[in-house]
Amino acid sequence: MINAFLAQDGIYLLTVILLGLGLAGIIVCNNYMKKLICMNIMQVAVIFFFLCLGQKNGGTIPVAMDTIIHAADYINPLPHGLMLTAIVVSLGTTGVGLALLTRIWERFGTLEEDEIIQVKGEDEV
Amino acid sequence: MQLRRVITVLIMVTILVVPFVAFRVLPEIGDPNSAPNSHVTDYYIEHTISECNSPNMVTSIIVDYRAFDTMFETTVMFLSGVAVILILSNKPKKRDDMFRKFNPCTTNTGPSIFKTVNKDVMISIIEPLILIYAIYVLFHGEVSLGGGFQAGALIGMTYLLDVMVVKRKDRDIFNYSLERSVSVAGTGPFIYAVGGILGLIGGGLFMEFEAIPLPIEAPELHSIGILIVEVGVTVGVMCTIITILKAIMDRVSFDDDND
Amino acid sequence: MLLLQALLLMGLIAITISIIFGKNILITVIVYNAFSFITMFLYIVMGAPDVAFTEAVIGVISTVYFLMILKNVYRKSK
Repeated sequence: MINAFLAQDGIYLLTVILLGLGLAGIIVCNNYMKKLICMNIMQVAVIFFFLCLGQKNGGTIPVAMDTIIHAADYINPLPHGLMLTAIVVSLGTTGVGLALLTRIWERFGTLEEDEIIQVKGEDEV
Repeated sequence: MQLRRVITVLIMVTILVVPFVAFRVLPEIGDPNSAPNSHVTDYYIEHTISECNSPNMVTSIIVDYRAFDTMFETTVMFLSGVAVILILSNKPKKRDDMFRKFNPCTTNTGPSIFKTVNKDVMISIIEPLILIYAIYVLFHGEVSLGGGFQAGALIGMTYLLDVMVVKRKDRDIFNYSLERSVSVAGTGPFIYAVGGILGLIGGGLFMEFEAIPLPIEAPELHSIGILIVEVGVTVGVMCTIITILKAIMDRVSFDDDND
Repeated sequence: MLLLQALLLMGLIAITISIIFGKNILITVIVYNAFSFITMFLYIVMGAPDVAFTEAVIGVISTVYFLMILKNVYRKSK
């Protein structure tokens, strides 16, 4: 009963809630570093959604044991391959974001959004 | 500020309401006959040993069936390293005194970071273990779990441990300059492309490893091609991690600078 | 297995809420490392050990990057 609900709706619902919380964090948080962390959380939600599609009842991990292979015995390995590269590239995007944060800190002396807007307003006047 | 709250509530409500309509389209989790589990992946699973000679299906998909994808993902890693260097390439200006009030942690008490770690255990025991494990993961990537990405990340993590332990001026064993590390990161996609072109030289297609002109049997030839490609991925990922670390460390002042 | 996945996902949601409403950024970064660890466990439960391996290594490296930036940056958030 509860397994049927989870398989049809529940896991997808929790994943969507995680995605929405990440997006809400990007909008609500006042600190730029917390926005970057929330961006990573959104990415984890997307990766998890892709991996959900590859699950298979009664399947093991995708490493072949024998030379005789039936496709029903193994989990779908295609989403794993795609998401592995996505995780590694997320490290690159985090690095670029941190470099931008370093420049913002050197220019304004703070990472809070309202203080940066205030300092920018004083500069323009 | 009030508008921001309203927009957030609207987005959350939309995200929570829309799925109740759309979930019926998605397949049930764990169904062996659903659309993502049926068409092309059955071919991948059943032919991974006979065509690619690699029992690990994830590796055979990454470096064989979807090799173009991985090639340009490695290029994306290299480009992110270049982007970090370009963003941080200016000379840091002297900070204004008016912003100094936001920064209360200018005085540091307590010992430096590199003094709090046991150097003998870290350098002589833990780092060689991680390096040996990384090489094992690289060369066994087609048989067991792991592959080029994991090996590159492990070697990058070894460099990161070494940076944390050894004082900055004393570091001469394992020290890369920024220019050298980013140029070595550029050779990663180059090695990958050379591994593909070797198939062209033997008269086959791009990335067709059976056509590599060496006097070896076809299955081992395929393993050699996969190994060349994975070495390219490892070099690219490792040197990108080192590049980002060095570029950020040149800007951040640590408390061992004045010792 | 689906029940375990649902429990771990609820843990991830709780950690995300604590990240959004936290005041101290150092604690936020450490909690993000815990998030990465639970994510790795979730990938193992789903049957994706390759992805879990990558996530374990990459999570540690990105946490160290965040901590290096925090050396210079004011740690309290509003």
